[in-house]
Amino acid sequence: MTRPATALTDAPATPPALWVALAISLAVVMALEAQMQQRPPLGLPAGTTGNLLYVRSPEFAKRAALSFDALAADIYWIRTVQHYGRTKLQPGELKRYDLLYPLLDLTTSLDPSFDLAYRFGAVFLAEPYPAGPGRIDLAIALLEKGLRAQPRNWQMAQDIGFVHYWWRHDYTAAADWFTRAGEMPGAPNWLKPLAAVTLAQGGNRASSRMLWTQIMQNADAAWLRDQGRFRLGQLDAMDEITLLERAIEAYRVRFGARPGSWDDLIRAGVLRAAPVDPTEHMLHLDPASGRVTLAPDSPLNPLPDPDDPA
Amino acid sequence: MRAVGHIAVNVFKESVRDKVLYNLVVFAVLLIAMSYLIGELTAGQDLKIIKDLGLAAISIFGLAIAVFIGIGLVWKEVEKRSIYTLLSKPIGRAEFVLGKYCGLVLTLLINVGVMTISFYAVVAYIDWVSTPLVRASWPAPAADPAMLKAIGLIMIELMIVTAIALFFSTFSSPFLSAVFTIGLWVVGQFGQDLREFGAVVNSSTAATMARGLSYVLPDFAAFDVKAQVVHGQAVPISYVALTSAYGVAYLALLLAGAVVVFSRRDFK
Amino acid sequence: MDAIRTEGLTKHYTVGFWRRRPYVALDDVTLHVGQGEVFGFLGPNGAGKTTTLKLLMQLIYPTAGRAEILGRPAGDVDVKRRIGYLPEQPYFYDYLSAEEVLDYFGALCGQSAADRRARIAGLLDEVGIGAERRLPLRKFSKGMLQRVGIAQALVNDPEVVFLDEPMSGLDPLGRREIRHLILRLRDRGCTVFFSSHVLSDAEALCSRVGILVAGKLATSGTLSDLALNLRGWELVVSGLSEDALAQARSRGHVTSATPLSDARYALELPLTPPPEDVLSGLMAQGARLVSLNPLRDTLEDVFVRQVGSTPVRQAAEPT
Repeated sequence: MTRPATALTDAPATPPALWVALAISLAVVMALEAQMQQRPPLGLPAGTTGNLLYVRSPEFAKRAALSFDALAADIYWIRTVQHYGRTKLQPGELKRYDLLYPLLDLTTSLDPSFDLAYRFGAVFLAEPYPAGPGRIDLAIALLEKGLRAQPRNWQMAQDIGFVHYWWRHDYTAAADWFTRAGEMPGAPNWLKPLAAVTLAQGGNRASSRMLWTQIMQNADAAWLRDQGRFRLGQLDAMDEITLLERAIEAYRVRFGARPGSWDDLIRAGVLRAAPVDPTEHMLHLDPASGRVTLAPDSPLNPLPDPDDPA
Repeated sequence: MRAVGHIAVNVFKESVRDKVLYNLVVFAVLLIAMSYLIGELTAGQDLKIIKDLGLAAISIFGLAIAVFIGIGLVWKEVEKRSIYTLLSKPIGRAEFVLGKYCGLVLTLLINVGVMTISFYAVVAYIDWVSTPLVRASWPAPAADPAMLKAIGLIMIELMIVTAIALFFSTFSSPFLSAVFTIGLWVVGQFGQDLREFGAVVNSSTAATMARGLSYVLPDFAAFDVKAQVVHGQAVPISYVALTSAYGVAYLALLLAGAVVVFSRRDFK
Repeated sequence: MDAIRTEGLTKHYTVGFWRRRPYVALDDVTLHVGQGEVFGFLGPNGAGKTTTLKLLMQLIYPTAGRAEILGRPAGDVDVKRRIGYLPEQPYFYDYLSAEEVLDYFGALCGQSAADRRARIAGLLDEVGIGAERRLPLRKFSKGMLQRVGIAQALVNDPEVVFLDEPMSGLDPLGRREIRHLILRLRDRGCTVFFSSHVLSDAEALCSRVGILVAGKLATSGTLSDLALNLRGWELVVSGLSEDALAQARSRGHVTSATPLSDARYALELPLTPPPEDVLSGLMAQGARLVSLNPLRDTLEDVFVRQVGSTPVRQAAEPT
């Protein structure tokens, strides 16, 4: 008997039992691996590092990574995101984000051009407890480190300005950073005007609206664009609430009593229909105080403080 | 099947006469010296460092044996032509492969066993010379039997690495076999990162591919519970059982593959 | 039942990486060896003798055809219990001693420890390994390794023995010992299949021979069947004068003369007149006899005669 011309070797065909064994063991391997991936990770006492490959000194890490700095940075970044997410989602107990800044420091020391790490890292760091460590100072420190590595990165400077504006309500510092960012090469032309508006009317809804509009239109990360959309929605809702409250006050002056519901206002010809917020959720009228609030299930909750709408 | 036993014993004899076991003496001496020195230098942290060091050394030495003997297991017999005489005896090719594998696993088992005993001797010594105050500060007892879980999983990890080396040895030169085996061991440590590759790349195809790979490549990171046992954190039996089952399935896959490749070869 | 039987045994190798050209190592070899025979498998180097043996041991797989040993297909595990094999240039495990190697192989053949002990001592004596049997094999010379090789082929008291170039590496004394050994095996009823490129080995031992040239079995049969003709004689003499030589040449008694060192000549004599007559003639003129040997056909001559063309390895037909 001659082997077919296409056979790779002259050997007799492998017994099917062996192929079956191979297939079954591969299937079992993949099934068990899926199980292993889904089980909760083994715990470690708070403050210990486990398998994060945590190394205390960025300089040591750089040397240890040999010429694979960028790859090591990627790996540390993945571990950072993991650590942040896992800590955030940990039920109940005290959440310790202690390692977040050191890990980000390591990542960015290994790869100083890792923009994503600086910018997202700053976002994680600034988030108030329990969603994050609430460390605005560290967020700014990280971004300043990024700026030292890339002195002409206008996005980094803009981000610092933003942190001052949004989290610290320090409009002078924010305007200062927006100006600096506007002077860097490649910066968009709305930064300088934004600085001016911030300085003049810091905390004003108009400047916030301008800032968020720019972010929504220009940010390269989908997350930031969504933030912009969300904040603009909130600002729109707040504008609408202000208008409605004024109309309610005018009604009270005209009719001597506050309206009991939206129907009163509709009958009075003030409104054409029950008002909704930009996400199509009904707005609530409190007849006793005349204040208008969002529906409890509206995704725009919680609205920023109307006296400090930044 | 008796032939598997004879071949295995022969592999063991070869490794003994190959002076592989001398590394055990090196290990034991190193560990004992380390513990003495560290006792002189640090305060309170010495048990953790010794446990970390001991477990890591068992892992590294075992890995070295698994790779450097494994890559030659089949290759050497083919290269030197002793395979001709051996296969003319009443044994099948599958029995040859399995016999070689069992022989190396036996060698590993004995090596790891002796290293474990020396290791426990050292930590027991430390326990003996420490004051009750120091003992109270330890998160886990010095001669903690839970460390055997870590060592057991290391052993299974080594058995997988041996199977990988053996598989490559059935058709590849020692140099390439070493490269592939060590390469796979390194990649297997980063299974978690493969799964979450999507966090650093924008391409969803790349992320899916990486995820798919994470199912097929050996997940060695799962076998590493050293940090947990050193900190006295519980490692449930279910964890050990699932991971061990995975290990056994993986090495069955590799051995089946090795048998398929080896059975089809012409020995020119 | 034949001890060994092949039918149309063929082996092609593909050579080259890009344009894969097939190389015909063995082409349609059909032979059979009866039980109790001593079969000499002859052929020049590279003819395919080792390939045939490896196919019989299933170390390599045939491209076409089949091989059987004792009625079972080659590679059958049970039949391997009843055969022994000596590969060419054997290597065993240099960290084991001769005794340990034989013990290992004996165990693999399923022999009990007691049987092994009894048999190994005698075997090592028979192949001429003395006190060295306890030394690790890495200390053995080529000749001693060859002897160990023969011993391991016999460790299970086989019914059929395959020897690939059993004489290689042995000094003349060793060769003679192995020849005697093969004859003893024959006397015990063992079938011996051995390959060689030296004709005189076959002449001394074989009942039948097969001649392999360029992958094809040129001929097989008993030695007399082969009609390995005598073509003349080689006569070496000393003290031959120029005149006597010229005279012998002119009479056609000498077809060629090659001067050797020490004033000797190697003369080629035709079949007739009988060499004794030519010799006495030369001795009468003062020459003295050094040696007289027959000149026979070489294996190539046989093949050429059989087939009528120079042996060339054919490229494989595309299938």
